[in-house]
Amino acid sequence: MKIIACYSNKGGVGKTATSVNLAYAYAQAGQNVLLCDLDPQGASGFYLRVKPSKKLTDARFFEDVERFTKSIRASDFERFDVLPANLTFRDFDVFLSRMRNKRSRLKKALAAAGSDYDVIVLDCPPNFSTLSENVFKAADLIVVPVIPTTLSQRSFDQLVSFFDERNLPKKKLKAFFSMVQRRKTLHLETMEAMRRLYRKRFLQTSIPFAADIERMGLNRAPVSIYAGRSAASAAYQALYDELENGVVTTK
Amino acid sequence: MTKNSRLFIVPGTFEQDRFAKLIKGLTVTFDVLSPSRSFDLLDCHDQSLRASGRLLIETEGALHLLQEDVAPLAQTWIGKGRFVQDLPDGPVRTALRGFPKLRALMSLGSGTGKTGTFAVLDDLQKTQVRGDVLLLSTKDIQVTLLNVHPMRGYDRAFEAVCAALSEMLGAASRIEQMFHVLLPKVAPYVAKPKVSLGTNEPSIQVATDIIRTFLTVARQNEAGVIADIDTEFLHDYRISLRRIRSVLSLFKGVFSPERTIALKREFSELMEPTGRVRDLDVYLLEKDTYFNLIPDNLHVGAEAMFAQFSKERTSALAELSRRFQSAVYNKQMRNLALLFAEAKYLDPGPNAERGAYDYACVLIWKRYRKVCKLARRITPDTPDEVLHELRIECKKLRYLMEFFAPLFDRKDFKTLIKPLKKLQDNLGLFNDYSVQQEALLSFVVAQSNTQGRANAQLAMAVGGLIAVLSQRQAAERASVIANFQHFDSPNIQHLFRSMFRNKED
Repeated sequence: MKIIACYSNKGGVGKTATSVNLAYAYAQAGQNVLLCDLDPQGASGFYLRVKPSKKLTDARFFEDVERFTKSIRASDFERFDVLPANLTFRDFDVFLSRMRNKRSRLKKALAAAGSDYDVIVLDCPPNFSTLSENVFKAADLIVVPVIPTTLSQRSFDQLVSFFDERNLPKKKLKAFFSMVQRRKTLHLETMEAMRRLYRKRFLQTSIPFAADIERMGLNRAPVSIYAGRSAASAAYQALYDELENGVVTTK
Repeated sequence: MTKNSRLFIVPGTFEQDRFAKLIKGLTVTFDVLSPSRSFDLLDCHDQSLRASGRLLIETEGALHLLQEDVAPLAQTWIGKGRFVQDLPDGPVRTALRGFPKLRALMSLGSGTGKTGTFAVLDDLQKTQVRGDVLLLSTKDIQVTLLNVHPMRGYDRAFEAVCAALSEMLGAASRIEQMFHVLLPKVAPYVAKPKVSLGTNEPSIQVATDIIRTFLTVARQNEAGVIADIDTEFLHDYRISLRRIRSVLSLFKGVFSPERTIALKREFSELMEPTGRVRDLDVYLLEKDTYFNLIPDNLHVGAEAMFAQFSKERTSALAELSRRFQSAVYNKQMRNLALLFAEAKYLDPGPNAERGAYDYACVLIWKRYRKVCKLARRITPDTPDEVLHELRIECKKLRYLMEFFAPLFDRKDFKTLIKPLKKLQDNLGLFNDYSVQQEALLSFVVAQSNTQGRANAQLAMAVGGLIAVLSQRQAAERASVIANFQHFDSPNIQHLFRSMFRNKED
C-alpha cells in the first residue's frame, strides 16, 4: 500500500483537482485506489458526486476502523473508491491533541482500514497542523502543487523550512507547477528561479491553467472523462507517469 | 462490506418501466442493447454446468460464464478446443477447473443474444448500482438475464434494486429454471439414474425397471457416439449394457431360463461391436501417459503405434456409427424397449415374485461370501487368474449393491462401498496393466511379417512399454492383499452380516 498525499499549505492551488485526476490515473493503470478526502469542505467528494459522510464523525476516523471502512464509497469509475469528508474533520486537531502518539494516528488508521488498496491518495486541507504532521509522517510521497507566483513561492519556502526545522525527510516532497500560464512572464521567471533553488524537489511535469480543469465542478468527473484529449488530461497523465515510473513525458 | 452480484432471470421481455417505478428515490437508465449476435449454450452431455447452477454461453469467439450470485466472467475463445483443459488461459477456464476432463463442451441449444447495461442513479446522478443485461432468444422463447452488481458503500440501493426485482419476478429465479424455459426439450442426462424400488416389490418388476432404465440411458448416448463428441458417450453406452447384462446374470430365476439365455445372448451381441472402439479410445486417452513411461528415444516407435491406433479407431467408429444408424439396430432397440415396458411381457422364472428386499439380501450375502472366500486364499504366489476372478466377483457385488441401494440405509451402504471401491480400483488397475500388455503384444504380432519380424522402432517402443507396465502390474498386485484386509475388517464383516445375513433365515 502506497500513500500519496496531495498537500499545500496554501489554498486554491489545485490540490483537489490533482487528487481526483491523479487517483483516477492510478485506477486507470490497474491499481486499486482510495481517495481519502481529509478536507472538511469535501471538495473531492463533490467532484465525484459522492455525498459527505454522515457517520464518520469526530474521532471515529482515527478510532473506529469499522466505521471508516463502512464509510468508503465506490466512485463511478472502476477500482476507484472514495472516503468522503465529514464537516467534523475541521476539528481533527482537537481530537488528535487528546490522543497518544498524536503524530502517527493517520498512518495507523490508513493501515488498518485501507489494506484493500494499492494506493491511497490524501486530499489534504491547507494548513500546518497536527493533521498535516500526520500526513507528512504517513505519506510515501507528498505531491505539492505550486502556482508560479510570489505568494505560492513564499508558501513553498515555508513548507521546506518546516521540513528542515523538524528534520522531516524532504525526499518525500514532490512539487510541481500548477495552473501555469505560459503567456505570463512572471510565471516563467518564477518557475525558472524555483527550479534552480529547489533542484531536487520539482517534478518536470507541470499542469497548465485550463478551462477544462475549472469545468470539473460542472461535470463532476475527472478531466479525462469529459475532455479526454485535452492538454489538461494529458498533463495529469504525465504527472502520473513521472510520479509512478519516473518517466518524463516531453511534448 | 462488499456483497456478491445477484442474477435475476426474467422469462420474456423485461418491463423496464415497472422496474423504474418500483425503486423509489432512484432513477434507472438502460443503455441501448447491442445488435443481435448468435449464441450457443454450452455444456457437456451430463450437463454438469447446469447441475452446478452455471451457464456457459459462447458468442462470436467469446465465452461468458454466468453463475448465481457471482459476477459474470468472460474470456476469448480462439480455436475450437472442445475440452475445458484445451481452452486458452482465462477467468472462465479457471472457474471451470473442476469440469470433467473427459467431457467435451457441446452446444445444447442456440439462438440470438443482445447485451447491454443499466445503472441506478441518485439525485446527484451518482451511480449507486450497476447491472448487465443479457437478452437471449431462441426460436420459441425469450429470456432476460439481469446481473446486478453492488457498489461499495451503496448497500441500501443494491438491496432496493434486488427487492424490486424479486417483487417483479415472484419466487427466486434460478439458472435451472432458465435452462428449462430456454431449452424445454433438453432433459437432464443422468448416467446412473436411481431406480426406485419397494421392499416387497416382485423381483421381476425390479429387474424389468432396471433394464428399462438402462436401455434408455444407452440410447441417449448413441447420437454422441455418432457425432464423436467425446469418448464418454460410448463408455456410458457400454456401462448401461453391462448393467443390464449383470441384472440378467445376477438375478437368477427371475425370468424363465429360456428367456434369460436369449436375452443374455442378445445383449452380449449388442455390446460386442463396441469393444474395439472402446479399447482404442482407452489407448488414445492414455497416449501422454504412455509417452511418459518410456524414454524420448523410444518415442518414434510409439508415435507410429498411436498413428496406427488412431487410424484404426476412425474406421472402427465409422462402422459402429453405421450400425447405430441402421434400421435393423434401431428396430432391435425399439423392440427391446417395448419388451421391457412392463414386467408382464416377460416370462417369469421361479424367483419372479420374490420380494425385492429378501431377494436382495440373499443375493448380496451370497456374493459377499464368494468374494471373501476367494480373496482370503490369495497369497503372493496365487496365479493372476484368481485376481482377475476376484475383480469380476467384486464388480458383481458392487452392481448388486447399487441396484438394491434404495432399499437400505444410505450411510451404512456408503461405509460398505468405500473400502470395496478402493479394492476395485486396485484390481481395476491390475487388470488394465495386464490387458494393455496383451494388447501391445498382439499389436506387434499383427504388425510383424510372416517370419515374425517387426519394425525395430515399433518393437523397441512396445518392449519398453511392456517392461514398465508389467512392473506397475506387479505393484498393484502387491497391494491387493492389504486392500482386501481393509475391506475384510471386523467392522465391515459385522455390517454385512447384520444387514444381509439374518434375513435369509
